[in-house]
Amino acid sequence: MGQGVRTNLPMIVAEELSCDWTKVKVVEADLDAKYGEQLTGGSLSTRTSYTNLRKAGAAAREMLVSAAAGEWQVERTECRAENSAVWHAATKRTLTYGQLTERASALLPPADPPLKNPADFKLIGKPTRRTDTPQKVNGSATFGLDVRVPGMLFASVERSPVYGGAPRSFNADEVKSAAPVRAVLELKSAHLTHQFGETSGPGSRNYSCAGVAVVADSTWAAIAARKLLKVEWNEPPAASETTASLREQMHRFASAPGAVIRSDGDFDKAHAAADKRIEAVYEVPFLAHATMEPVNCTAHVRGDFCELWAPTQIPGAARASVASALGIPRENVKVHVTFIGGGFGRRLIQDYAVEAALISRDAGAPVQVVWSREDDIRHDFYRPAACHIMEAGLDSRGQLISWRHRGCSPSIETFYNGTGISPSAAAQVDSLDFPALFVPHFRLEFTVAESGMPLGYWRSVDSSGNQFALSSFFDEAAHAAGRDPLEFLLATFGSARKISLRNNETFDVGRRRAVVELAAEKSGWHKALARGRGRGIAASFGWGSYVAHVAEITCHAKTGAIRIDRVVCAVDCGTAINPLGIEAQMEGAINFGLAATLKSAITVEGGRIQQSNFHDYEVLRMSDAPPVVEVYIVPSTEPPGGCGEPGVPSVAPAVGNAIFAATGKRVRRLPIRPADLA
Amino acid sequence: MAITFTLNGKAQTVDVSPDMPLLWVLRDTLNMTGTKFGCGMALCGACTVHINGEATRSCITPISSVTGKKITTIEGLSADGSHPVQKAWIEEDVPQCGYCQSGQIMSAVALLRKKPKPTDADIDDAMSGNICRCGTYQRIRKAIHRAAGSPAQKA
Repeated sequence: MGQGVRTNLPMIVAEELSCDWTKVKVVEADLDAKYGEQLTGGSLSTRTSYTNLRKAGAAAREMLVSAAAGEWQVERTECRAENSAVWHAATKRTLTYGQLTERASALLPPADPPLKNPADFKLIGKPTRRTDTPQKVNGSATFGLDVRVPGMLFASVERSPVYGGAPRSFNADEVKSAAPVRAVLELKSAHLTHQFGETSGPGSRNYSCAGVAVVADSTWAAIAARKLLKVEWNEPPAASETTASLREQMHRFASAPGAVIRSDGDFDKAHAAADKRIEAVYEVPFLAHATMEPVNCTAHVRGDFCELWAPTQIPGAARASVASALGIPRENVKVHVTFIGGGFGRRLIQDYAVEAALISRDAGAPVQVVWSREDDIRHDFYRPAACHIMEAGLDSRGQLISWRHRGCSPSIETFYNGTGISPSAAAQVDSLDFPALFVPHFRLEFTVAESGMPLGYWRSVDSSGNQFALSSFFDEAAHAAGRDPLEFLLATFGSARKISLRNNETFDVGRRRAVVELAAEKSGWHKALARGRGRGIAASFGWGSYVAHVAEITCHAKTGAIRIDRVVCAVDCGTAINPLGIEAQMEGAINFGLAATLKSAITVEGGRIQQSNFHDYEVLRMSDAPPVVEVYIVPSTEPPGGCGEPGVPSVAPAVGNAIFAATGKRVRRLPIRPADLA
Repeated sequence: MAITFTLNGKAQTVDVSPDMPLLWVLRDTLNMTGTKFGCGMALCGACTVHINGEATRSCITPISSVTGKKITTIEGLSADGSHPVQKAWIEEDVPQCGYCQSGQIMSAVALLRKKPKPTDADIDDAMSGNICRCGTYQRIRKAIHRAAGSPAQKA
């Protein structure tokens, strides 16, 4: 989906396999049990594959060496694998891997092959260009919408304007007589299987939308005919929801005690005794994924069999959801994974696969369901809106001694796992988010908001909104203490050391300090900036990686318009497989985070999404993008951490903190409104 | 209704409804899926092609309006990916998901024809109609400067 694993995962194999990289070709696998779990999301691909892929490459290398040694009747130790061939130095003989594969494949793979010493890596750690760029610059890469199969039809679906609604009646006959269509079909809502394999518990709300599908010979014919559809809808209770009503509810819930997620020390007592107290309310809206390729899927149902061509992040979940919706065995569902024109978590949900399967079954032909941009914006599984009420107390030395965070938002976990889960599981806050562990009297509470909106995972999930509240409010504490935000952050961390966490994880304060110091150093933190300009810093830890951002902005005094002049990013993601790819992910995450910071919001009236296309759901454009983005990767031999999501959360607070430095005005709601700063 | 135009240097005739957008003629009638659908309202640039050399959003261009005109799509830029802009995109490792890149490249090619050495402001003006959600803007800018043969400018 663009995150670069088509390059860095083959690099891992090619390294241990001692390949000539210029001879490596990458082929996308279909869904097949022999590959184990096939999923991309959660910034997991490199983290979970690194060791296995090294072993696979090393095992194959050992087998090729054994095959050559056998062929030459020499000792294995005299042979060397390098550049896609095995070499016998003493006799100057060489055999290419191609010449050895047949003999090698008859051998037993070694269970525990020796892995290379990282000091000897030739490929891992070298900036390497993507393997898929040539087909992405000549129009030949096949995305979901580009799938073409013989006899296929195209469908455009009018979905219930309110999530959970269904058609009561529609003018099928009228449309069929007025336009060249193959079918006008009711599309029933289906309960999706859980995307990560566990069951969706009772009370879970993960359903595909109900609607009416217009099926025609071409996309345009389907789109045009759909304009003639008139549908009457049964509206569910969610029809009463508005942005204002949800905002009021979340504020009310976050103003009262919630489920305790973490409590250290005695907040009430310490806070009351604090020398100085501050409090603030932070809010973020619902967000749409708005991938450039609108949601789509192609399916061909034949009897009890279904073939899918899906731009999906989890082909196994597509299979499971489709099998369940059709009532057929899972092994009868074949899944081809296409290139995905943007994921960001949207393609973790398999609603589009179920829709295509149901429509194909009822139309009796292969069908590609094409979502319009309006469909895509209006029928997303949104990043939840949230309200965070923050309180902090400082002692006479300007140190943080008390901190309370009351969060409230609709719960993604409840949406997918049901209402029987514990308050901790339902909470959209993390008990380990800084400054937990660093403030002696710390309290984290959460209340689930009631909402009828469909919810989903949006690049960096809870952190995408939480970090805005946490790092901005932390910056408020710094200023309240009269201290430089960088100095305050490093002082609060304290010395470099390791703190043991649950799950055998370690919070490495040294690695956190290092990215903060690096970002600060590279940004020239202590250099003065001209009037109207400011610098802000924010850092976050997650998915096994450490990231810090320093944003430099200019704020136009009269209009409040913000220009992002420069963003410096320091990242420690452990062993860096492909530095060029890591830089791309961090650059992309900055631009993605800036869209949420400056532009995007989903609002609701009468349970209906108010936005529909890029004129009212605004995202970042070239003219908004910071002209200068610098990414610094901390050299590391630690296990690889994730890179897809970690670069997003600290972007918004770095910008908000920079705005405060420039203007003295504090941003507490996203997206930033120039009118608030003028 | 039969409509004739030149497509990537070859004469082409299609028999479709005159109001069908060029985008869907390319993708569905002619099976050329390099030009992408992103918004249907000329807001995102994914559908950018050249009509008589001008960058045009094909999603709102009715096929009837291209009669007798010369259309170039991403597939027609070069036979082998050797167009200087394609090469610059590869050198600078620009794409991530890649979905917007056909449109980005077509807009960039049109810009460079008009302004062989564009400034950053020229790039903003010409390229702000092309959205990239993966956020490859900084690399696109570098690649345009590279294709122009000028060193990348910094603000």
